[in-house]
Amino acid sequence: MDQVGSPSEKPGRWKPSFKFKKPNFKLSGNMALITGVTMGLLAAVVQGYFGLQPPAGDGICAVSHPVNLINWFLNNIFNTDYTLHSIFVEVPVLTSVGFIIGSVIASVRNKEFKFRRGPVRDNVLAFILGFVIINVGLLWGSCPIRTAVLSAYGMYFAMLMMGMMILGVVAACLYIKWKVRRTR
Amino acid sequence: MTGIAAWKIGLATLFIGIIVGYLGQRSRFCTISGIRDFFLVRDAYRLKGLIGVFVGAVVGFALVNMLGGNLSDFKAGTWQFMPMLKDGLDVTPAILIPLSAVGAFFMAYFSVMAEGCPFRQHVMAGEGRLSGIIYLTGLLAGVVFFNVVVVPYLQLLTLRFPD
Repeated sequence: MDQVGSPSEKPGRWKPSFKFKKPNFKLSGNMALITGVTMGLLAAVVQGYFGLQPPAGDGICAVSHPVNLINWFLNNIFNTDYTLHSIFVEVPVLTSVGFIIGSVIASVRNKEFKFRRGPVRDNVLAFILGFVIINVGLLWGSCPIRTAVLSAYGMYFAMLMMGMMILGVVAACLYIKWKVRRTR
Repeated sequence: MTGIAAWKIGLATLFIGIIVGYLGQRSRFCTISGIRDFFLVRDAYRLKGLIGVFVGAVVGFALVNMLGGNLSDFKAGTWQFMPMLKDGLDVTPAILIPLSAVGAFFMAYFSVMAEGCPFRQHVMAGEGRLSGIIYLTGLLAGVVFFNVVVVPYLQLLTLRFPD
């Protein structure tokens, strides 16, 4: 908040006026860090004050929350009995819907919203990747964000899985490097 | 759980999702690309995001516990960091450790091929990127496949290796 105008400018006719600065969400050097810290804090707040537990550290997840949402709909529409976290039995978990809405709002506000091809050019490959990633991701049951939150809870298992994820990324990078060298 | 309490959780998750989705779009936050960029080109911009989640959660949990929030495994009202450290690697059945390790490894491996972690794919879908939208369709089909085909085998496996 900036205070504009001071008594010394126009003696006797001074009126206090305040100019509110809009929050700046432009891409800066630490924007990802700020986003990460906000995620961590929100995960703690939603668990501590909104009762989003058990399981612990389940405030934000891009793997288990979409699965809970889909299973909730399947259970309620087709009377199936697919696994749900106990707190999401009565109402659907809407985090993943929120991710998309938040992203739409941000991209529309900043004139970046446009239907276009993504980084994966082949549509079939994009479908297969989504299909495979959720299946292998569910073996562990958490996305990297939740794995970091669980590690912050002190869970050795999550730290171990974070290590495995780092190994997975390194292996993929080495494969890409090898493939590039081979095609040269 | 009462209906109101349940809806409070539902709306809280939606609200938090919107905030995080907004910030994620503005910052290009991605956990997998953070590790990838650092390994390939020594760019730590996105990696700072992943470290930020960890730091934010450590501080956040300690603060929420101190300020009267209700957190499992924490001693209420005290400064406490990473309370589950004392439990050690307590996983039953033990077969879950190699199974989860394989899952975590390949989720990261294929996420590099998909150019983003599952969270980033949600954000890209919100930006109107076709590959993100199709990825989410694949994710939906994958969940159904996992429920119908994979879960029964996992149950058999955990029965075969109960400890």
